[in-house]
Amino acid sequence: MVLIDHDADTSIAATRLEREARSAMSYAGPKIRDVTGEFDAAAKQLPPGRLVKDEYFTLFEAVGALEIMDPKMDSGFVPEDDTAEPEFDVCRGLLPTEVLWIMDQLLGLLIGWHDGYPLSQTVFTSLHVDRLLSPDNRRPYNLHFGSSVSTGVSDTEQVIHLVLRAYCLALVKSCALVLHTIQLQNFYEEEDFVTHLFGRELLHGLSAEDALGSIGEAMNWLPTSDIQKDVRDALSARLDFIWTYVSLLTNDLNDWHDLTDVLDTIKATHHLAPPIPEAFSDKVQRQLASSTPPRPMMQVSWDLACQKWREMCEDTVAAGRLTTEDICQSPQSLQRAIWAFAYRDPPPNTYARAYLQTILFGAERLGENTSFFDLLLVDIRDLVLAGDPLANPDNFLIEVPSDPRHQSARIMEVFMDKVFDEYMNFFRMVCQNRCRIRRTFTQSIGVLDSLEAVAVQTDADLDAITPMRNGDVLLCPMTCWVRYQKLQIMIWTIQLGIETDVYLPHELSLMYWLLSWILERKLSLITHSEVFLVWRMSEANGMRDTRVVAECLSSQDYLRSLRTQVEAERSLSIALWQLFTVLTAVKAIKPLKQDYARELLLYEARMKSYLGLTQDPIPPLSEYKAARSALGSVQEVCGTTTAMTKQAKSHLAELKKMTPHQARYVGTEEQFKREVKQMETTCVAIAVQTSQLLRLSVHQAEMGSATSEEKLGIEATVPAPGSRYHDWWVVPQIKSTK
Amino acid sequence: MAAVAAAGVPAPTAGGVAAAEEYLVGYLNSTLHIHITDGRMFVGQLKCTDNERNIILAMTNEYRQPSKQDVDLAALRHEERGASGNVKVDMKKRFVGLIVIPGRYITRMEVEG
Repeated sequence: MVLIDHDADTSIAATRLEREARSAMSYAGPKIRDVTGEFDAAAKQLPPGRLVKDEYFTLFEAVGALEIMDPKMDSGFVPEDDTAEPEFDVCRGLLPTEVLWIMDQLLGLLIGWHDGYPLSQTVFTSLHVDRLLSPDNRRPYNLHFGSSVSTGVSDTEQVIHLVLRAYCLALVKSCALVLHTIQLQNFYEEEDFVTHLFGRELLHGLSAEDALGSIGEAMNWLPTSDIQKDVRDALSARLDFIWTYVSLLTNDLNDWHDLTDVLDTIKATHHLAPPIPEAFSDKVQRQLASSTPPRPMMQVSWDLACQKWREMCEDTVAAGRLTTEDICQSPQSLQRAIWAFAYRDPPPNTYARAYLQTILFGAERLGENTSFFDLLLVDIRDLVLAGDPLANPDNFLIEVPSDPRHQSARIMEVFMDKVFDEYMNFFRMVCQNRCRIRRTFTQSIGVLDSLEAVAVQTDADLDAITPMRNGDVLLCPMTCWVRYQKLQIMIWTIQLGIETDVYLPHELSLMYWLLSWILERKLSLITHSEVFLVWRMSEANGMRDTRVVAECLSSQDYLRSLRTQVEAERSLSIALWQLFTVLTAVKAIKPLKQDYARELLLYEARMKSYLGLTQDPIPPLSEYKAARSALGSVQEVCGTTTAMTKQAKSHLAELKKMTPHQARYVGTEEQFKREVKQMETTCVAIAVQTSQLLRLSVHQAEMGSATSEEKLGIEATVPAPGSRYHDWWVVPQIKSTK
Repeated sequence: MAAVAAAGVPAPTAGGVAAAEEYLVGYLNSTLHIHITDGRMFVGQLKCTDNERNIILAMTNEYRQPSKQDVDLAALRHEERGASGNVKVDMKKRFVGLIVIPGRYITRMEVEG
């Protein structure tokens, strides 16, 4: 019965589809009725201000509507003294030098697109490109629509139909390839990059190889032409550039230095090209599908364009250099490498960041023999389980169900599966733009908090199979590891918040105080891990297993480097929170006047991302207030600050002595040194500002002008991001107002 | 909704405000073709109107008369194909989304269906 019903259903559906198809075929356009007069008459009867509207259509949406015939809003508006379409014949022969200029202009527009401008303001404004992309143009995509070019055309025509056309084809194809790479990875539309094609297709009937073939033809023709040699070479260099670029994008070549080499040649011959701006027009926007107002064509600065091209090449080269085999084998070194990439100055563009993501996440494995799962295991082992059989990769291969190693490996595996996505995000998110790193990390805190609850259960399960306790203390490896990651992410969100100027000057006291609290927690986790490591090492020494011993020693070095770094950061944050607190107390930093603000509400608003934590929650406002009021006089605070910077400096000195393998900064040695240097400079700056504060306060106390601390006459300014010694560590500039 | 409009709500010449409003509501979400002073036509769904006949259309396509260049080109192709008879050139169409057309530019309004 069921079967028959089913058949009946399908046959009814088939008949209906057929009928619909028939009616669609015979469709001669909808019936249209003129309603001009009656509609007008009805509308006129409405009282002024009354709207007749669809109930689901809101006025909020209406604000986004583009007003037709308004020159600023309507991209299809044509002024009275203007033509709808540009009057430029793209088939017309041009001087080879003029073609040179068009090519250079396109190069500038192309890098502008990489930089975040939409195609409608860049590449699509080229009338030659526009003709190739015209919806009725088909393979082989000629500039002319008529019969094929007859033989014996002049050089000035060939240079258009052969050379410029090939260049444009390859350039458009490059856009398709770039889009493909970027869209496979994480990026933020409009914020980073605009993928919109405005209803155009990027020569879908033509492959990149076809485009390269056209370049080849053009290259072959050039020597046979009568074009002056220097111009001919210049044209050839541009063809070479686009050929190299497309080959790099299709992975036929992989050394982006090749492109910078050609760029130098192009730069040297740019002066040969007389401008021919009429070959570009923003009138093309009148033909492009777009729900945005018309926007002007991007203005190309040739020197800037060349510089941006160079930066993109260098960034791509750096992406390769920061993901070599030996870096990828250490999760911590790889982390540092990705951060180093994100902190290249200026920041790498969206394509370069997508390129890095492709290397990292494009395949199942990172390099020859590492997967992210392996990295996760190494990460856990290095932090909490060095020398412990639990983290031995071989355990995961044991198949005897009664073997405790098999059982614990299964428990580990289930847990690792759960944290895996979030762990990948630690790497992937750093490939995003700076503000997004902070925002996605903020969202990650809650996820990690719930994973910490999972970890507690996992630890209990593991403990039931192989107890890991030192006396009465439980190791709880998974809980430790997750909490450590959570604290690290919290630290980054605060530091990135400081870098992106999220906090007001008077809030820095609170934020550095919270930072010092988190760092304190982190430090105790490291200590916990170190205690267990020592205990495990004493047992391993007895076993004389060299692999285990090596693993333990390596982890010991790593933990020591973490401790040193965290100690340094903690000293800095203590120095800064106290310094900012005292500066706020003496009114050198003035809070904004917020009449309705309550301290608790402000605290809750600022701590929103951290308040939801259920495992190890952050301290309440009262604790901060208590810490604040426990601070002594200006002189006392200055004393602590000075002591703290001294401590930080000695920790940094110790950190500097550690080798790349010990502290896990393989491949980013230079950046590591630079960062330590920046932190050292920050220490010096804090010491200088502290002594300045001390001098001013003592001086004014002697003058008798300061009856209370509130009238010290000191002003403190906070340097903007970019003009700090280190963007994460803000040192206030203190000066006298008297 | 379109069916209601097509059924022909009586033209509200003397029915008062209520009848006028009812008539206009009948066209909401129908597909309108609106011609404006510069020769363009917009085809989209009616979302909102008022007493100045300002129109908000959603999911709109813009149609523009082909330029002389387009006509010449079509003629050339027509010739190449060796076809006879009249040359047919389509209007140029593009998507523009949500738009407002001020009543003063409207020259003709048509409804589909």
